[in-house]
This record gives sequence, C-alpha cells and structure tokens, in this order.
Amino acid sequence: MRVLIVDDSSTMRRIIINTLSRLGHQECVEAGNGREGLDRLATTQIDLIITDWNMPEMSGIDFVRNLRASDKTKSVPVLMVTTNAAKDDIVEALRAGVNNYVVKPFTPDTIKEKIEAIIHR
Amino acid sequence: MNEQMVGTLVQATQEVFETMVFKSVALQTPIYGEGLRPRSNVVALVGFAGEISGLVAFYSTLEAANEIAGSMLGVASSDVDGDMPDAIGEVSNMIAGAFRSRLAEEGMQCAISVPTVTTGSNFYTRCISQVQRVLCPFTMDAHEIFVELIVTKQ
Repeated sequence: MRVLIVDDSSTMRRIIINTLSRLGHQECVEAGNGREGLDRLATTQIDLIITDWNMPEMSGIDFVRNLRASDKTKSVPVLMVTTNAAKDDIVEALRAGVNNYVVKPFTPDTIKEKIEAIIHR
Repeated sequence: MNEQMVGTLVQATQEVFETMVFKSVALQTPIYGEGLRPRSNVVALVGFAGEISGLVAFYSTLEAANEIAGSMLGVASSDVDGDMPDAIGEVSNMIAGAFRSRLAEEGMQCAISVPTVTTGSNFYTRCISQVQRVLCPFTMDAHEIFVELIVTKQ
C-alpha cells in the first residue's frame, strides 16, 4: 500500500512514516501542503492519504474537497491527522470527504486502528 | 486565568510528551507573575485568540530541545541537525492545540496561531500588554523544560 502523507511539518511527516513503517507499510510519498499533494497524485498511484488540516498554500480541507471533485481521486481513502478537535471541525472534515479522523497527539495504536478501519470498510 | 486553566495546560503538556516524545515530564512548582524567566536557548510561541487571548510558550536549552526532537524522530539527539526547530514547533502546536480543545469543551472558543521558534542565546521575551502569567517547570530526564501560559488581562 502506497501512502501519501501531507503535512507542512517535516517532523510530523517523519513521525507518521516511522509509525507506518512499524505497521509494515514501507511505501510513503510526502507533500508539504495540499497543492503539493495534488501534484503528487497527478503522477503517482496512491492507496491511502494521511493529511493535516492547517497548512499554507492549500489547507487539508480544501485538498480533500479537491480530491472528491475529481473522478481520478474521489475514491482514495483519507485519514485526517490534526490538532483541530472540536465537534464542528470533525463534522466539517467528514462532510468534505474525510474517511476518518485522528486528533494530535496520537499513539501509534490509534493510527493503526484508524487505518485498519478505513481499509476494512 | 484560573487554576483549572493551568491544570489544563499541564495535562496537555504531559499528554503530548508521553504520546509523541515518549518521555514523562514531572511538574515542579508553578511560578505566577513576572518572576525569573528561565535560562533557555530555544523558545517556541503559539498565540491564541477568541473569548480568551494570550500565548502558550515553551522554553528549553538547546540540549533538551535536541533530545526532544531526537526522541520524536527516533534518532540520536546528535543526529537531529536542522530538524529541531520544526520538532519543537510541532510540540508547542500540539500543547496549544490540546489546551485550546479543552477550553472549547469548557465553553471558551478560541483559535491558535502557527508556532514560531527562536533559537540562540542572550535574549529574553517580554509581553507588551497587561497580562497574567504562570510558568510551569517540568523535569524531563536530566533536563528542565518550561511551559508558560500568558493570558491577556480582560
């Protein structure tokens, strides 16, 4: 499974990559914001997207809306990982097309559970 | 500012360190007011504004900051190199974010800013407006780190 990780923090991208590696997912592609994420999707087959919300150039929410508006990417599962924990935020993300949601800080087990929930849906 | 807010900040800090830095941090005695500011080489600031406004500040030595970054990234602190400011920014972002979420649960809505991280020596931070401050010292292994809550006086 090839995973696209979209986050403006290089630290957070490394943490997620390390977590995925421990879970047996070795193929990861990185992007620093939503616009870069769309560029990666144009050239690379992606099976799962893990995205932050608050990013420069294009936010995670706008990135997901763009994904869902395209026939090529509308079905790619998306896990949002963010500090935005309010109920209204979660509802907005789900309405935009996010499949599941993780609030930072998170444990590796939480990421594992959320990914498995998406894959087995 | 009240004791509950300070408790919220302390809980947020401990949760972030345990889950993302894989280190326990033990709270020492909080210091209220304009007391001695910690000697530090790394300062991270995250602003918040809304029904309540102010700053969450993180202070540490360079050595402690590199240990934190190394632990988050799964590398030796000596191998952290240029990643430390981003890592400390992310720690501060998560502490402020968790603090903000808990405030929201108590009915106080606010938004947080992007973090800024300053590294160096022989500098100090000062608030221009009238504020209430509480500095929370923590021990982390052999180091001391500090998280401060600064709230604008209404």
